Amino acid sequence: MQTYFLRKLASLPLIMIGVSLLVFFAIRALPGEPARVLAGPEATQEAVDAMTVRLGLDRSVPEQYLAFATNALQGDFGNSIRSNLPVLQEITDRLPYTLALAVLAYLLAIAIGVPAGMAAAMNRNRWPDYLVMILAIAGASIANFWLALMAMNYFSVELRWLPLLGANSWQSYILPSVTLAVLPTAVIARMTRSSMIEVLGQDYVRTARAKGLPARKVYWSHALRNALIPIVTIVGLNFGGLIGGAVVTESVFNWPGIGRLMVDSVRYRDYPVIQGVALVAVFGVVMVNFLAEMLIAFLNPRIRFE
Amino acid sequence: MKFVPINRSVLARIAVAGVLAFSPSLALAEVLNVMQSEAPRSMDPGDQSATFTNALLRPMFEGLTDRDSNQQIIPRLATEWTADEAGLVWTFKLREGVVFHDGTPFNAEAAAYNFNRHLDTNRGLAASGRLRTFMESARAVDEYTLELKLKSPYPAFLALLSTQAGWQVSPAADAAGTLGSASVGTGPYRLAEYRSGEYVLEEKFPDYWGDKEAGEDQIRWTWSSETSVLNMALQTGDADVINPVPAAFARQIEANPELSLNVSDGSAVFWVALNTESEPLNDPRVRQALNFATDKDGLVQAIMAGYAVPATSPLANITPGFDPELNPYRLDVERAKALLAEAGYADGFEMSVVVQEPEARIGEVLQAMWAPLGVQLDVQRMESGVWSQAAFGDVAQKAEQNVDAVIASWSSGVNGADLQLRPLYHSSSFSPGGANLGFYKNDEFDAMLDEAAGIVDEAARNEIYKEAQAVINQDAPHVLLYVNQDLYATRQGVSGVWMVPGGFVRVENATKE
Repeated sequence: MQTYFLRKLASLPLIMIGVSLLVFFAIRALPGEPARVLAGPEATQEAVDAMTVRLGLDRSVPEQYLAFATNALQGDFGNSIRSNLPVLQEITDRLPYTLALAVLAYLLAIAIGVPAGMAAAMNRNRWPDYLVMILAIAGASIANFWLALMAMNYFSVELRWLPLLGANSWQSYILPSVTLAVLPTAVIARMTRSSMIEVLGQDYVRTARAKGLPARKVYWSHALRNALIPIVTIVGLNFGGLIGGAVVTESVFNWPGIGRLMVDSVRYRDYPVIQGVALVAVFGVVMVNFLAEMLIAFLNPRIRFE
Repeated sequence: MKFVPINRSVLARIAVAGVLAFSPSLALAEVLNVMQSEAPRSMDPGDQSATFTNALLRPMFEGLTDRDSNQQIIPRLATEWTADEAGLVWTFKLREGVVFHDGTPFNAEAAAYNFNRHLDTNRGLAASGRLRTFMESARAVDEYTLELKLKSPYPAFLALLSTQAGWQVSPAADAAGTLGSASVGTGPYRLAEYRSGEYVLEEKFPDYWGDKEAGEDQIRWTWSSETSVLNMALQTGDADVINPVPAAFARQIEANPELSLNVSDGSAVFWVALNTESEPLNDPRVRQALNFATDKDGLVQAIMAGYAVPATSPLANITPGFDPELNPYRLDVERAKALLAEAGYADGFEMSVVVQEPEARIGEVLQAMWAPLGVQLDVQRMESGVWSQAAFGDVAQKAEQNVDAVIASWSSGVNGADLQLRPLYHSSSFSPGGANLGFYKNDEFDAMLDEAAGIVDEAARNEIYKEAQAVINQDAPHVLLYVNQDLYATRQGVSGVWMVPGGFVRVENATKE
């Protein structure tokens, strides 16, 4: 068990190197030179060339990568082309906002999705099941930004109940986190339902019922614990999707997180920031998956002993 | 009895302390909230060329010259100036008693430093391009006398000094390399806080040389690229001023008594640059036909909800030198068909046009307008960075990527015809070195522009620009579409905001009730 996780942990640097290579080369393959975007449409070729040299983009891509990797290993991810601030500072300033939003959204999604899925499973093919499934399908299909704009227009503009933009008070967290939670809630509800239905058909559940355990105990401690394994897997795998959703949600709500930073940076071809944010996001996703695996091992002794 | 006054004074002191404790909230600074559609690109005015960044930086920076709200050039950091007869050596008397926000004195030395940093090719600053094309050197004659030498006469010289390339930055801050994230200028406001993901906060500069009273205590700038968010922010009061107002929301804002919409003539000309190196667009008759087939009034309604004027010249109607009598191509499909038939394309032809995502609808509308001629327009929508690579390709690249036309816009504002006609139509401006995206070349036209550039008298210069516009009109290396109007909106009670044509909103003197 220990060696299993140590091996997993040891592969992390390899994953990071692979991802950094991929991101580094991919953004440079994007059409649109940063020097031209930065110098503006009125810039002469001479000005664009001078800018290219200044940004260090006149060197070959492998050379640029080597310089980037050497500095990154020493904790220096360069400076943002746009704000001139160190990339690391840009990211650490905003990471807490994104994490807060992501964690809130996930807690919401689990708090609503799991009971809703269970209710659907326990009332299979009856109205609670249909209701939950219809909502889940709607939640999974609705465009995130559309929902965000509608919510803003209703709760902030029409009713004036909640702040429209930014992260200035606890009320500011409500709309963005709820919007962001919609998709994972839907996914978790559906996953919980199907997982519960499968578990409820197992022999040991019948045994538990047969020996006269109260229904609550059968559902919550016998069935749910086993049904949780696929749910935790899905939750872990979906974290990347949540970060993707944060990009949209943060942009619409002017949320000062790394999602909005990413969007602004791509628009200006701010290579150092794009690289930094991508690495941090990937690190986060890998770590969450790692934690999910540990949790699954805890929930399922069979994995521990393999 | 003796103790009572003491007790009173204690109470009084507590009361005073209480008031003092609350006084920060009582004397809460008045903040003007301005929201734009784009994040600032730099805190160094000389290292960016974006309209919305200019608007944000302007309260903190000043040039030697400025413009008033009637678009007239007025003195700012220079009090007077003279030029030699050839217009090549300019001497500026600088304002005395001006300091930068960091305490560095503003003098001829500092001003010369500012121009020299743009002339230094190793710096690669984003706003240097135009200055470098015509400026030779800058030097301090004495403490408050600055001499600027030009390589060639430049009609828009004084105007250019009022723009971001001429805004004076603290030499100390520039040398320290911190300007990009921390503005230091001489303007009435100084940078209080820059949170790159959230806002820019500016506060009154107590040692400002000019009117310290004008404007609110603080200006807070935020941004969102989602236009409906701008609209909502104005309605909730999160923003006192929004710029720009998307045409789609203009009527709604106009109808709201709490809000005020401001519409003024803009300077951005939208046009389709036709690749004159690509068949059949190398035939002027084909290009003219496309112009005759374009319903500009329809476009203005369809794309801009009426908030634009049909373009009749490559110059905007507010640009000095604009010829209002130029005969535009009025919608005449029959004539367009006849021209195409004459050129041997009676059945039409296929062509492609590249367009940025937000302007993609222009392409779609043109596709429908040109269809009756048999022209099959392939509209290629692109993200802006991708578009700029395609649009600014050279002849060979455009041939290879099959780019027959580019939908683009250009704004030289009130800075004169040369800044519009030269980069867009002079043969020395072929992309990627300039914005002559269709590789238009006419020696007669080039000669006119070069001649006009050397004429200091504006009226005489504008006579030549009139002829030049006629030549361009005949050759039609483009399909002219429209000139946008600049729309911004404020909450009721906000005053002192004004618009520099081109979308640059000035708020440093704005107040709200």
